Amino acid sequence: MTEASNADSAISAIKEALKGHDYIASQNISTAVYLAQKLSKPILVEGPPGVGKTELAKATALLLDKPMIRLQCYEGLDESKALYEWKYGKQLLYTQVLKEKLSELTSNSESLKQSVEKLHEFDDTFFSTDFLEPRPLLKALWAEQGAVLLIDEIDKSDLEFEAFLLEILQDYQISIPEIGTVTSTVPPVVFLTSNNTREIGDALKRRCLHLYIPFPDSKLEREIVRSRIPNVEETLEKQIVTFVQEVREMDLKKVPAVSETLDWAKALILLNVRNLETNIVRSTLNVLLKFQDDIEHVEPEIPTLIRSAAR
Amino acid sequence: MIYNFIKALRASNIRISAAETMEAIETLNHVGLFNRQLLKDSLSLVLAKTRDDKEIYSSCFDLFFTMETPEPTEIIAQDALDNTLMPKNEQSDSGNSQNERSSSLLELLERPDQMALAENIAIAAQQVQLSNIKIFTQRGIYARRILEHMGVNELERKIHDLARAGEEDAYNNLKFRKAQTLESVLELVDKNLLLYTANSGANLRQEILEKTPLAQVETRDFKTMHELVKKLSKRLISIHSRRRRKAKRGALDVRQTIRKNMQFDGVLFNTVWKKVQIDRPKVIAVCDVSGSVAQTARFLLMFLYSVHEIIPKVRSFAFSNQLGEITSLFEEMPIEIALNEAINQWGMGSTDYGGALHELERLVGNEIDSKTTVLILGDGRSNYGDPGHLALKRIHLKSKSVMWLNPEPRTFWNTGDSEMNKFNASCDRVESCRSIRHLERIVSDIARRTV
Repeated sequence: MTEASNADSAISAIKEALKGHDYIASQNISTAVYLAQKLSKPILVEGPPGVGKTELAKATALLLDKPMIRLQCYEGLDESKALYEWKYGKQLLYTQVLKEKLSELTSNSESLKQSVEKLHEFDDTFFSTDFLEPRPLLKALWAEQGAVLLIDEIDKSDLEFEAFLLEILQDYQISIPEIGTVTSTVPPVVFLTSNNTREIGDALKRRCLHLYIPFPDSKLEREIVRSRIPNVEETLEKQIVTFVQEVREMDLKKVPAVSETLDWAKALILLNVRNLETNIVRSTLNVLLKFQDDIEHVEPEIPTLIRSAAR
Repeated sequence: MIYNFIKALRASNIRISAAETMEAIETLNHVGLFNRQLLKDSLSLVLAKTRDDKEIYSSCFDLFFTMETPEPTEIIAQDALDNTLMPKNEQSDSGNSQNERSSSLLELLERPDQMALAENIAIAAQQVQLSNIKIFTQRGIYARRILEHMGVNELERKIHDLARAGEEDAYNNLKFRKAQTLESVLELVDKNLLLYTANSGANLRQEILEKTPLAQVETRDFKTMHELVKKLSKRLISIHSRRRRKAKRGALDVRQTIRKNMQFDGVLFNTVWKKVQIDRPKVIAVCDVSGSVAQTARFLLMFLYSVHEIIPKVRSFAFSNQLGEITSLFEEMPIEIALNEAINQWGMGSTDYGGALHELERLVGNEIDSKTTVLILGDGRSNYGDPGHLALKRIHLKSKSVMWLNPEPRTFWNTGDSEMNKFNASCDRVESCRSIRHLERIVSDIARRTV
């Protein structure tokens, strides 16, 4: 039972700490961060674009005071880009430089067989960690103080890559054929984000905690705006958030996300706006909405929206 | 308790693996049971892994835990978190004899303690394994079993005795209380029924639909059927697209590799592959949409539509007394509209296989080559007209293969005006295709061959 109250206070602490790093987390989000640490499990974060999935990872990295290592996924991403690569150039250079040394070493051996044997002794030198170029995943495993690993937009990668990730996500280890298995000393905190352009495989999902971040409600969003843009006036901030919340209710191609709310608020401040007015909203609507269809759809509603926002 | 909860979630179609169950238990150890909201948030992270699942999970959680509320002591006993509380509710010990329990029911009813009563009901429910309930007709049985477990027999005897002794007041009082107990037991059973069988009805229906002959599917099931077809095509697409990606990489191009690696002193680091140009097979699909197959035409078209999604380069035709191309219709419109459009435009005439096949030959005859697969969906009933099997034969000679899917069972072929025998001679494969099951088998077969 003490455990439970501990958990409670720990979660509130995380929430506060995230807030200190300008990330306003909901109860659900901070619970996820807490559990991820306790169970040492990766978190798979899903949600519409622009709700702060990537930001969550950044804020967590700040919170834990660990370096953040980011791996952006895209189609065709393979292990040589995600995990490691041999430094071919360096290997070549070294063999060239050491050519004489090598011939010297092999010169006093009598038979070919002997020299081959001699060479075998140095073989592994060229395939050692010195010649390994670590890519994000390996970097995260090697990090001595642990790290926050962000695997961004996993849904953009291929199915094969997803399968490749399974070993890392489950045991925090990876097999490199030439060297062996690399295991992390301090398991990194892993975030995977997905925009759901395709369904993530069950095997991957099973290994992760699943966090869905929806659009924030107006209270939370107002807090976010306040923390991100400290110099915003309260009346304007309230109007902006109410306006955006109402726009989200409408039938749009792409609903404005939190990041767009923030951009819009910044733009309005730059324009020295104190209160939302039809003209200004109309001319800055393109910050909020990214499709001409949507803009045309919202435009006639602006006066009504402003009126309800001003209330 | 957590097992029952997971069972309930599974019943509402959330897939939970054994590993996840273990995780859930570990989570419980971390967050405890007493903060409801925290528990809900945490378990949702571990158990529900899609957005839809989260919604189902949320309602399931609320339902489940309102039901479990009156027995906090029991939860703890179950999870062995705190054994000291065990003696307080000794009824939960399954070793106890029936007698003790029955007296306890009597006692319970005599002193009005709702909490204790509810607790007893819950325990009895657990012992008769109420969570195994499958369908609503089992309601009565389970309710009775619970009551019996709580010692209702004893109670009834007592009521009987009271009646005989003529103690009106006590008799009425006890009888009333028994009725009350029955009510609360039934309520519990209903809740369980709702919880554990939320989806089994729908699942059963889908399973049956998969096997029903297409012609017998009723209009109200069209929607479910459509979903099934969609599911099927989705599955096939994912299998199929994977295979194609693998096939792309060709053999090593030695000449190019050497040239490319001159910068590395001729050491072969970067490999160059001979890209294999896959010549995609062409599929020409012809579907009978006439009155005689009106029932199945919809599904055959639905099937064709899904073929469009799986295999690129399909040309589709529909015919009854005339034949017309519907490829663009399928590519541009959502399935419902496309289907209705196709049937309205080309259906409702009487079948003319001869005309249709000749027309097909005229339209695409020049395009058919050794890479073309021709797919014909129809019952092969030509209304005693020219079956056009000679045209089909010419098509067959030019094409890679001709496949005929007939919605009738094999035993009906060649009866009446069915000309399957004549068509059979010019087909590489003739299949009876009557249900979603058949469709699934055939489509995956085609997809495999076309790679």
